[in-house]
Amino acid sequence: MFYVLAFSSAIIAAVNSGVDATVSKLFIPNGWALGFATFAVGIPVTLLLSLMFSIPLKGRSVGSRFADPSFKRLRLLRREEVFPQTMAAFGNALYTVGYFALFVLIEDPSVVLPFTQVVILYLVAIESINDKDMPTLSEIQSILIVTFGAILGSISLSGSLNFESLLIVFFVINPGWVLLTVYQRKLKWIKIDDQYNDSINIRFWNVLFSCVLTTVLIFGYDLMTGSNHLAAGVSASVNQFWWIALISTGAFFAFVFYIRALGIGKASVVQAVRSSTIMFSIPVSIVIAYLGIIDPFSTDPVLLIIKVIGIIIMMMGILSFALNLVKAYIFIHVKPGYPLEETMQKLWNIRGVSRVTATAGKYDFIVKIRIRALVKGYEKIIRKVEGIDAIESFKWESVLKEWEDI
Amino acid sequence: MIKSYILISMRPGDSEKAIAAMRKIEKIAKISVVAGDYDIVVRVQVDSLEDLLKVTDKIQMIPGVKKTTTQVIEKELSL
Repeated sequence: MFYVLAFSSAIIAAVNSGVDATVSKLFIPNGWALGFATFAVGIPVTLLLSLMFSIPLKGRSVGSRFADPSFKRLRLLRREEVFPQTMAAFGNALYTVGYFALFVLIEDPSVVLPFTQVVILYLVAIESINDKDMPTLSEIQSILIVTFGAILGSISLSGSLNFESLLIVFFVINPGWVLLTVYQRKLKWIKIDDQYNDSINIRFWNVLFSCVLTTVLIFGYDLMTGSNHLAAGVSASVNQFWWIALISTGAFFAFVFYIRALGIGKASVVQAVRSSTIMFSIPVSIVIAYLGIIDPFSTDPVLLIIKVIGIIIMMMGILSFALNLVKAYIFIHVKPGYPLEETMQKLWNIRGVSRVTATAGKYDFIVKIRIRALVKGYEKIIRKVEGIDAIESFKWESVLKEWEDI
Repeated sequence: MIKSYILISMRPGDSEKAIAAMRKIEKIAKISVVAGDYDIVVRVQVDSLEDLLKVTDKIQMIPGVKKTTTQVIEKELSL
């Protein structure tokens, strides 16, 4: 399910990038205006789709059957969601405006998208801090492979790439995407009425918040520079409503699947799988070049070979990265005479431990481990567990495969 | 809300069909296939002990399930 969701999101995102390129080239050649329009038109489109998914069907909502099992109906925002939604929306506003600005600078989506995949670097760094874990050598290798693959894979067949576009990717788009990803994952893990949050409500409120923040962002920029992007955005929303509605519909499904995948896997692994979007963006680029929307491709075989090699290297890096995650359970018996709370805290302080549960039954504790290399299991976990006086015995059970219903 | 782990020992060769059957049980939040003393670890979230009994019963009725050990969660620290 995890891979189906992440790949579906990647395919929809790639097709959508072709529509984005078409709209930015033919109808709205202003990144700020296009960014604003996607949210302004996105609100009614997302509202309509969310309401359609709220229709009951044989005791459950349509959305619960076809998109996200946690979804019941569109609902008001809860207090605990306000902060993460604000942060996610800020990330989305930055990402979207940067993304469309990039399309104005570089027309070909297969050039733009590989650089956005380097965001995996940022995610691994954040996860290392959150998971109380350090990246392993194999992780660093995978990250370098992905980065170099992205650089080679982004070689433009239509000959356009400039320094300004790279700055936008590394300092606007990627940090924006990281904020969006990290806080959307937090939102998915919030419990609403004893159930995990659903991706449809997360998406709807994210579009609403993002529209407000994008408006503020563009209004501030207009005030400072004397430009008129906000008015251009309003005008584009009205004049090109149906094109933008098409983009918003694609984005809705790409995000709903992405958020659901985030609820199941680690952010960096979801991102790794979703980065296959660059592969899917190549046929999209070929189609829009064939239709004459972007400049025709170079047929230089050297360029073509470099680009293909870059994409293969990148996919290899992503694959090794995604397959790197090791999960395990440790079942623990403790000796009498030691406070359980203290032992629980000692177990929790071990790096790589993602969950500690005190249980009633045959075992006193069940500990869940999430590490990126089995060697860490001994060096960083077993030795530490053995060092806790209260522990009488324990069993390590490696997880071979896992299904999660979030 | 009562959360628990059910540790399952299987007869060899029946795991795939058993997992497919477990995935249809509504209150099961997570299924992990493990290597060690047990074969499958299931995480269950139910409203009452009676519901937990029903889920355990459903698991025990699946062909191939040899033995189950239920661990009710008293306290949890999680990322």
